[in-house]
Amino acid sequence: MATQRALPQSKETLLQNYNKRLKDDIKSILDNFTEIIKTAKIEDETQVSRATQAEQDHYEMHVRAANIVRAGESLMKLVSDLKQFLILNDFPSVNDAISLQNQQLRSLQEECDKKLTSLRDEIAIDLYELEEEYYSSSYNQWDSVDLPLCEAYRRRDSWASPRSSCSSSQGDNEDTDGPPTQEVNPQIHLNGNAGTVPIEKS
Amino acid sequence: MANERLRALEDVEKEIAMVLQCAGNIVLELSKDKQNANLLERQLVQFQSSVNRVENELGGQIRYLTQVATGQPHEGSTYSSRKDCQMALNRAEYAKVKLGELGRTCEVMLDQQQAS
Repeated sequence: MATQRALPQSKETLLQNYNKRLKDDIKSILDNFTEIIKTAKIEDETQVSRATQAEQDHYEMHVRAANIVRAGESLMKLVSDLKQFLILNDFPSVNDAISLQNQQLRSLQEECDKKLTSLRDEIAIDLYELEEEYYSSSYNQWDSVDLPLCEAYRRRDSWASPRSSCSSSQGDNEDTDGPPTQEVNPQIHLNGNAGTVPIEKS
Repeated sequence: MANERLRALEDVEKEIAMVLQCAGNIVLELSKDKQNANLLERQLVQFQSSVNRVENELGGQIRYLTQVATGQPHEGSTYSSRKDCQMALNRAEYAKVKLGELGRTCEVMLDQQQAS
């Protein structure tokens, strides 16, 4: 068993007070109950008349019963104080509670982010297909600066293997300055301009 | 661990109520003309065991607190992880709002197409 550390005076005094209250209340309950049982015994010889003795015993039992109830309520208050002290000063359990809560919150956050990431990937795939469909139709209107996603991927593939034919389905509005010297890193911008990629000109 | 100690203290509260109830039942039984000895015996045993349990449990808790209490305030918090989680939920909510807008836009376009 660990030896008692040097607690601040107030905490040590408080705990000693708790101990004292516990012992006093338990003693009060036991003593008063024992006295009630003793008083319940009927005696043949009494110093005063039976009626007076009965009245006295009745009053004494009332008082002792009230003492037992008071001691019980004092014990309840002690339990409440101990609960409060435990919540504030039981560091091992507070640390455990904090780490458990952190763990739960972090796992919730990771799950949320994982779902958002998978949603983003799914939408990117659909967006690629939709863009391909749209920009290959007669309704497209893109300029040479902002490439649609499908075109950017196509060009990246063609730059990766220079001998492959750079076939583009758009004949107009192409950049006539030649292929850019820097590689385009197509990034999906989902906020705002979805699906378009700015090209860095040399 | 914290919950176990607090739960133990709640059980102690029930035991204290049991102590008072047993004491009352014993006195009630003694007040009758014909007392049931078995009932008296049972109630008395329960009274004594409850009182002992209350004393032992509370004494144990006070001894434990004497060992672990430092007198310093605890400075740990869950604020950072709570904030991160809240931001993740905000991101999800924002994505939901945006997808809702996108869905409504598509429905409007389809309605217009069908109308024309």
